[in-house]
Amino acid sequence: MTQPFLSIRKLRKVFGAFTAVHDVTLDIPKGQFLTFLGPSGSGKSTTLYAIAGFQDPTSGNVLLQGKSLLSVPSHKRNIGMVFQRYTLFPHLSVAENVAFPLRVRRRPDAEVKRKVADMLSLVRLENFAERLPAALSGGQQQRVALARALAYDPPILLMDEPLSALDKKLREEIQAEIRRIHRETGVTILYVTHDQEEALHLSDRIALFRDGRIEQIGTGEDLYLRPATDFVAGFIGNSNFLAAEHLETVSGASTIRLADGSLVSGINANGSFERGQKTRLMIRPEAFRLERSPNNAELSVEIVDIAFYGERRRIVARTSAGQEIDIRPTSSMAATQDTSPGRRRVFFDPGGAFLFPA
Amino acid sequence: MSVEAQQGIAAPRVPAGLSGLLPALILIGLFFVVPVLALLLRSVTDPAPGLQNYAALLGDGTYARVFFNTFLVAFVVTIVTVLVAFPVAWMLAIMPPALASILFGIIILSMWTNLLTRTYAWMVLLQRTGVINRALIGAGIIDQPLPLINNLTGVTIGMVYIMLPFMILPLVGTLRAIDPMTLRAAALCGASPLAAFRRILLPLSLPGIAAGGLMVFVMSLGYFVTPALLGGTSNMMLAEMIAQMIQSLLNWGLGSAAAFILLVVTMALYALQLRLVGARRAVGGA
Amino acid sequence: MLLDYDRLGWLKIALLGFTALVAAFLLLPVVFIVLLSFGSSRWLAFPPPGWTLKWYQELFADPSWIEAALTSARIATMTAILAVTIGLLASFALVRGQFRGREILRGLLLTPMVLPVVVFAIAIYAFFLRLGLGGTTIGFVVAHTVLALPFAIIPIATALEGFDKSIEDAAIVCGASPLQAKLRITLPSIRIGIFSAAIFSFLASWDEVVVAIFMASPTLQTLPVKIWGSLRSDLTPVIAAASSLLVALTLALMIVTALLRRKLQT
Repeated sequence: MTQPFLSIRKLRKVFGAFTAVHDVTLDIPKGQFLTFLGPSGSGKSTTLYAIAGFQDPTSGNVLLQGKSLLSVPSHKRNIGMVFQRYTLFPHLSVAENVAFPLRVRRRPDAEVKRKVADMLSLVRLENFAERLPAALSGGQQQRVALARALAYDPPILLMDEPLSALDKKLREEIQAEIRRIHRETGVTILYVTHDQEEALHLSDRIALFRDGRIEQIGTGEDLYLRPATDFVAGFIGNSNFLAAEHLETVSGASTIRLADGSLVSGINANGSFERGQKTRLMIRPEAFRLERSPNNAELSVEIVDIAFYGERRRIVARTSAGQEIDIRPTSSMAATQDTSPGRRRVFFDPGGAFLFPA
Repeated sequence: MSVEAQQGIAAPRVPAGLSGLLPALILIGLFFVVPVLALLLRSVTDPAPGLQNYAALLGDGTYARVFFNTFLVAFVVTIVTVLVAFPVAWMLAIMPPALASILFGIIILSMWTNLLTRTYAWMVLLQRTGVINRALIGAGIIDQPLPLINNLTGVTIGMVYIMLPFMILPLVGTLRAIDPMTLRAAALCGASPLAAFRRILLPLSLPGIAAGGLMVFVMSLGYFVTPALLGGTSNMMLAEMIAQMIQSLLNWGLGSAAAFILLVVTMALYALQLRLVGARRAVGGA
Repeated sequence: MLLDYDRLGWLKIALLGFTALVAAFLLLPVVFIVLLSFGSSRWLAFPPPGWTLKWYQELFADPSWIEAALTSARIATMTAILAVTIGLLASFALVRGQFRGREILRGLLLTPMVLPVVVFAIAIYAFFLRLGLGGTTIGFVVAHTVLALPFAIIPIATALEGFDKSIEDAAIVCGASPLQAKLRITLPSIRIGIFSAAIFSFLASWDEVVVAIFMASPTLQTLPVKIWGSLRSDLTPVIAAASSLLVALTLALMIVTALLRRKLQT
């Protein structure tokens, strides 16, 4: 049997009365870009810190190629890390920052010089070698941090919300940079963020954390198209939740009654429900259509507000039960349609809607 | 209130501010600047006009010895204070707040306790038949009492005791300003604790060490009470010599000249410190 | 990791051990002097052969000690009042004023803290001899106020810098006169700084030895001068008793400061 590259086994971290991480178990193949996504306080950073060696887990283990990392002090783990607040060494030049890991490893001068040059060209900062960190912009500092973390070819790169201190445009620029570097170096990346767009955009796989547990792990598409729980559905992408009563489920397709009394069948059921059980129906805003298609379910709504967002229009509508929902048909589609305020019907594919317990 | 009325009250603000400085300027001008300048004048006029007082001070071996002693003591005191203060400040900067406030309490108690009281305690502790010598003999470490007082050892112990808070407190500020994440980053980069200390923590605390050390050095140069009580006659310091020249020998000319030399050296080092850390922080510790 | 208290390992034990030693070193003379003051040995043997209160009796029986303490308290109180008043006015000008040479003036007002006291002591001694102020209460208070002024200006100016002046302007817009605004809005906001200034300038005078040694006359001597004189003649345990009372006073002052700060901050 092949050994997983990096393996987290029943990791648990307790701070006094608060359990930050509950028995998290996870295998990461070599070269994968895995993101820990979740709201703050969900245990994603604590898990990362246990891998880095900043905090000892209460129980559980972290194995790299089968060997436990826990008894290895941070400075011998040979792991790279990029932090939220850059954490460059303020008294050292850019080049000396990148050279630092090599100098403490007592690598020969020629190698240090060559490697620093390579790294600075990797992050495209060749012309800034002699600057002090304080003379760089936030984005440049984070690129230096990236170069420093990769300078000693660590097998694993940890990134703790590295873009959260940057503005939107810079964030997108550095995201592209990180993707490129991941492609070019093949390093295994563990990336922590609370930003779902960033997670979807960057990762091979996403582990969604909630209250110290992994709620769901899978590709971005898995999490978006097949959310395992209503928390996942609510956290990834936008979603509308409609109150519904479950009537019956036959071979994975459920029939429900909505609050306005209309029946919908062919819904994807997550788990089993009893007859008459209160449930919530999740429909993505972009799953709504303004025109009828075969097998589509329909919903009678009153259009409250319409806003234009460039590639999309956002329609706020109210169901006859009085609940506000969010509808985002593509503009080209919506342009040909009558979206004037007033009562009308909207349509959705029941196969793309999900049923969760209330 | 109208706009004009507001401007009306805003306009005289600057002169009003300046007039607030008047009492302080009169006090300092009349009772600090004038007396000090008068003293300077005396150093070149007493007993006769000329630089003979300075020539006497700088040309004589006994005085040269006092100058040398003064610098030696100040230097030794500064080095020892820095070495002792750094680990304490380091711990203070990162220890749990409850523990830190106990330690701060001890430091403040020592700092606020009457200077003579503290020096008196050291005189009793360090004397030939004092507690420390007896304890050392009792423990079998030494046979004969160590000469701990009336010499450089006594002055150093007493001065380091007094200077420690002045070094520890600003240094805690410097160390607290360093992001602990920087040291974590250093560790993950592969730096052993020793390497992280030498290459990151120490260089980052150096401005605080330099500023505090310079302050301790300047204060030690002109210190009077502790060297006078704990030091010996053979290694007298400048401040004590000045006091003696005036009080016992009534040699105002020589005393004023020595005072002026002390003033110049102190002010030059103070100016250096200001350039190092900026005016606010240089005196912000008090 | 070097700045993570919980991740220092053996280094933490070593550093904490060293810190504990230094704390003991800092406490040693203070605790020692208090114990000694209750010891029965005239020769300051330690541990004392027995315990007694006779040094305190001797202290209180000697009117010159009481006299000296009262003189010190009187001079220090007057010094504190003067230094805080002058320092407050000066701080407003230094923090708010927009004039050239502000930093130089600030430096000048703070110089007495930096200049070796012995230089100032002989300078003011000679000056007061000519003015006939040597050995007078006024002379003491003036000289001590010069030395205390920096200790008053620094905390007040720091507090004032941390105070948002637009709050004072808001009071003026609400109809308060500039003076009213300062008295009712600004001063209460910087009271911790003023309070610290009062404590520091009181202590600056109360503990001052060097100027006092030069200025003292047979009829007017402060407590430090009295102790200094006794120290130079012999190390009598009466000094330990007097010192213990000073330690008690320091502790009381620290407690009052801590309590007041807590109260003022809420």
